[in-house]
Amino acid sequence: MTISAQVRQTLASLKGVQATLETFASSEENQEAKAILRRNTQRINHVVRDMEKRLSVLEFEEPQYKGF
Amino acid sequence: MPEWLNILLRSIGLFFLTLLLVRLIGKRQTSRLTFFDLITGIVTGVMAAAVSLNLIKDLANGLIALAVWTVFPALIYVLSIKYKTVRDIVQGKETVLINHGKVLEDKLLEARLTPEDLLSRLRKKNVFNFADVEFAVLEPTGEVSTLLKKDKQPLTAKTLGINVGQESVPQTVMLDGIIMDEPLTAMGLNRRWLHTELEKVGVAPENVFIGQVDSVGQLYLDLFDDTIQVPKPKTKELAYATMKKCQADCELYALGTKQPEAKKMYEKSSEILSEVIQELEPLLKR
Repeated sequence: MTISAQVRQTLASLKGVQATLETFASSEENQEAKAILRRNTQRINHVVRDMEKRLSVLEFEEPQYKGF
Repeated sequence: MPEWLNILLRSIGLFFLTLLLVRLIGKRQTSRLTFFDLITGIVTGVMAAAVSLNLIKDLANGLIALAVWTVFPALIYVLSIKYKTVRDIVQGKETVLINHGKVLEDKLLEARLTPEDLLSRLRKKNVFNFADVEFAVLEPTGEVSTLLKKDKQPLTAKTLGINVGQESVPQTVMLDGIIMDEPLTAMGLNRRWLHTELEKVGVAPENVFIGQVDSVGQLYLDLFDDTIQVPKPKTKELAYATMKKCQADCELYALGTKQPEAKKMYEKSSEILSEVIQELEPLLKR
């Protein structure tokens, strides 16, 4: 597996976690817990954005593996 | 009037009268009976019995005595709520039996307790070694309350210094195969969601005995058919494990890359993720 494919996989898992946390946050009734969940989905979102940027660089460097 | 009729009429009349008078005393809980409560209770009971059995020939005399013994306690209870001195006399004060781990012998004598009594009461509180007790009081009701020494107290999350997540009460959404709409809507869910969740674990709705939804919307089930194993919801644990994996991945990429700025980005990501994991751990793991 090339680096870009690995990063893509990590990115996908991260997005999955983010979505799970968001569902938890929306059904959580405890305001404190809800706030913690919301705050941390935001943080993960930052990471996801950074990784996406890096991924586009990687794909530019290894165009033959683009889309894998 | 024959004797038996007299007794019958008296008994019936007194039955309802005592019922009324007892209500007048008020509804102090019988499980917290003080010595005074006990005495007034016995005296009224005996008196009612004596009057109804015609042992006291004059009905008026009996009724007067009965009235005094019910009205006075009621009055004293009202007063004792208002004044502490009355309260201390009527209900008695608590007696400290063990202080700083030392048994106070004079207090024991004051409370008319033998050392065996003390030990047996401590045993009832699951204390078999008196040296484990920091503080013990004899309550006015005759019960012994104990405070164990700090190192003998049960462990709590606080003494261990562990952060635990707040958990709201789970809602019961299914009972006996019947879907309860009210708790469902209280959780912001509907029947369709429930049917989807049941389909996910492959269970027919009529097979569900109890179904509960926790605060993050995970469904826990108990089935009529106990031979079927229902998978426990693992979404929380899974999310936690995935986050840990992603964080490890970021660290790996940081080590693998040769570009300094990419390295910095990965390191920062891993740091953020580890913070996130730390903060979410109490919510997701426990």
